[in-house]
Amino acid sequence: MKRIIYLLLIAVSIIGCKSENKEESEKILTVYTHRHYESDQELFKRFEKESGIKLNIVNASADELIQKMSLEGKQSPADVLITVDAGRLYRAKSQDLLQPISSSLIDSIVPSYLKDEDGHWVGLTKRARVIAYSKENIDSTQLSTYEDLTSDKWKNEILVRSSSNIYNQSLLASIIANKGQENAENWAQGIVNNMARSPKGNDRDQVKAVANGVGNLAIVNTYYIGKLLNSEDEDELKAGNSVNIFFPNQETTGTHINVSGIGVAKYSPNKENAIQFIEFLLKEEAQNIFAGSNYEYPVNPNVEPSDILKQWGDFKEDKLSLNELGRNNKEAVIIFDKVGWK
Amino acid sequence: MNIKDRFYKLKRDLNRWSLLLLLILAVVAIPILTIGLKLFDGPGESWNHIVDYVLFDYLQNSFLLAIFCSIIVIVFGVTTAWLVSRFEFPFRKQLEWLLILPLSVPAYIMAYAYAGVFGYSGVFSNFMELVGVDSFRIEFMNIYGLSFVLSISLFPYVYVSCRTFFLAQATNLLEASRMLGISEFKSFFKLIFPLARPAVIAGLVLVLMEVLNDYGAASYYGVSTFTTGIFRSWFSLGEPETAIYLSAILLIIVFGLILFEKWQRRNLNFTSAKSSKQNYNSRLKPKMSNQIWFSIICFVPVFLGFILPVVQLVIWVKQTLEKVWNVEFISITLESFGIAFLTASVTVLVALLLLFFTKWNKIELLKTTSKLGVLGYAIPGIIIAIGVLIPSLYLDKWLIERNITSKLILNATLIALVYAYVVRFLAVAYQPLESSSLKIDRSLSDSSKVLGKGNFRTFFKIEFPLIRTGLLSAFILVFIDILKELPLTLIMKPYDVNTLAVKAFEYASDEMVSSAALPSLLIILTALIPAIFLNKLLLKNASNT
Repeated sequence: MKRIIYLLLIAVSIIGCKSENKEESEKILTVYTHRHYESDQELFKRFEKESGIKLNIVNASADELIQKMSLEGKQSPADVLITVDAGRLYRAKSQDLLQPISSSLIDSIVPSYLKDEDGHWVGLTKRARVIAYSKENIDSTQLSTYEDLTSDKWKNEILVRSSSNIYNQSLLASIIANKGQENAENWAQGIVNNMARSPKGNDRDQVKAVANGVGNLAIVNTYYIGKLLNSEDEDELKAGNSVNIFFPNQETTGTHINVSGIGVAKYSPNKENAIQFIEFLLKEEAQNIFAGSNYEYPVNPNVEPSDILKQWGDFKEDKLSLNELGRNNKEAVIIFDKVGWK
Repeated sequence: MNIKDRFYKLKRDLNRWSLLLLLILAVVAIPILTIGLKLFDGPGESWNHIVDYVLFDYLQNSFLLAIFCSIIVIVFGVTTAWLVSRFEFPFRKQLEWLLILPLSVPAYIMAYAYAGVFGYSGVFSNFMELVGVDSFRIEFMNIYGLSFVLSISLFPYVYVSCRTFFLAQATNLLEASRMLGISEFKSFFKLIFPLARPAVIAGLVLVLMEVLNDYGAASYYGVSTFTTGIFRSWFSLGEPETAIYLSAILLIIVFGLILFEKWQRRNLNFTSAKSSKQNYNSRLKPKMSNQIWFSIICFVPVFLGFILPVVQLVIWVKQTLEKVWNVEFISITLESFGIAFLTASVTVLVALLLLFFTKWNKIELLKTTSKLGVLGYAIPGIIIAIGVLIPSLYLDKWLIERNITSKLILNATLIALVYAYVVRFLAVAYQPLESSSLKIDRSLSDSSKVLGKGNFRTFFKIEFPLIRTGLLSAFILVFIDILKELPLTLIMKPYDVNTLAVKAFEYASDEMVSSAALPSLLIILTALIPAIFLNKLLLKNASNT
């Protein structure tokens, strides 16, 4: 018994020290990220090779990472925080977890509406929340705005995922910011009334449901359609091919967009490496990878989106300050609960 | 009794075991107490909103889920356990261990697989097309589907605890009742089921705790339960205080469950080291048609809980293998395995200490409160993670301020992770240990002590050999649980360590469920080895006695 205990203790200390020893001499950067796309792995490898900086990657949801950073306080090993939406970056900023970044390169690449006004965070890629409609049953002339989705003609037609999902929360937050709380609540209620089924599954599942005739309209993010169209799974391919994309609100506020973005942690131990990392991610090489393999819109204006995205054409973006998404996030969740959007 | 008497009684009963027991309880309780203290901060500002709009939904769904799951796991678990331990029929031996396998499929993976099976052009609709029923679909992603998915992956908890009971205890009683001319089926309901109640409920309590803790499956199927509500108020509303309030309600419910389990066992002292020594291999041989039925009945849960989801995963793996398989995978598998092995050993050791310190301690009050040590299993992993993070960071900061260490030595290292796992899974190790130690005839250890042997000698010479099976089942159950564990691992794991569950989750949350199939399958395969081993052990034990 004793021997076993000793062995275990030794095992614990060996694995426990594993991370300690390595870090001493090397240049490192600790990345807290919510993104776990294949394209990111590729980018991280390239960055390590190019800069000689070793990356420690911590993957978890942005909410958990923010909670972790705030618990860790000054001792936090985090250098940068990457999220898949602007609302969470706003939350990190308002909890005083980020610091302003000053880099002329960053300033010159990223347009001002895609970054924080105080320079606490910057967008890496854009995604639009659009309407995917059935090619077979719907003509694009029938569609116009997000608001129009609440009209009676779309009864039992709308497919959308749960309100726990951040993309829906941000969409509603943008409506709160643009149209006021009361209109936003009416809108959410209208969508609930027109739902083809109670929300379930993810964005891809909504498109699959359209392909199978559960409803004719799905509210989804653009890059999921790109992924469906390039899937090796026959069903997914079929689902992707069964829909067209419609960019709503072209005549009014513009289509709701969000960013996947990055901020430097307030107590970052390797601030210079962090800025080097961000600059790397914004340059053409990295932006091309974001655009090419993950079907996101690059924030760097010199980089073209992927062919599929180009096919869908240019569209007018809602240039609402992305901080508004964070500011109105909680209100959005409360409205979702009130109107029974599961 | 006045205070003075009480004090003397306390002083008389206090021994070193009481102190050690208190120490263990304190260590285990720290995360829970941390959460408890946070309650004094009051709920977040959205608490009223929660109460007005969603709390009823959470309560109702969780309650329904608990009821549905209880019914399904009892039907599957007790029936199959009784059949395999009581009758001889074709493939009985194989089915006996096959029935444990669903335990190796994590509930969230089961949920993904079944969504695939019943999805458009999934296995099910293809089958329906084949038999000529076109466009017939079962909508699976709702509370009924969720209950099914959870039950089918958790029923082996009831199966294992009932079978252990049937193998060790029931034979002689059944012989007696048969001699008295009572039919096998009648004695099942009149005799076996009531007698097996503690075993059923012990398994059921584990199942219910898992059900209440589930996050992955419920959120994927769009069912709002208490746990999804905790996540939602914590993260979507950004109010940890509110989440902690919700968890407190959940805790009260679970505490109620535990008290109920204690109460139902109150006067039933099933000790029979003598009787289990008796003949064992007297399985009945019913007529052939019944035998075939029994085989089929036992095969159904194996098919639903293991074969079907695994087939779905294999289909997905075939599509994605090239993309997903690489060297990194092997190291992730090994790391998962290593962490699970290490933690399971520590957990079983702590559970063993908890059990025997409780026994050796003489203070009545401590004996009853020691049950609190296993509450961690009822608390969602994420809450435990925070409960461990807060004090471990505090300690880290304290050490750094005093220049004892230069960096965080607890946070984001294996120490904190293992600690959190132990708190979380102590119950899983404790239950089988407790029930196997309950079976030890008290006179055995009493005699040893009368003969002048100390607690330790008695333990190693008498009790340890007798609870060896329980010990190994405990180890294996914890091992499997840790392999499957997700939310706690996500937040506590060291940076350079990765597990299969985390990998599977990453793919699934990236809407690449089919790529999650390979790590999922590996979790299942890794968990298979101990599951089969567990069965061998039970068998060996049964044939030895």
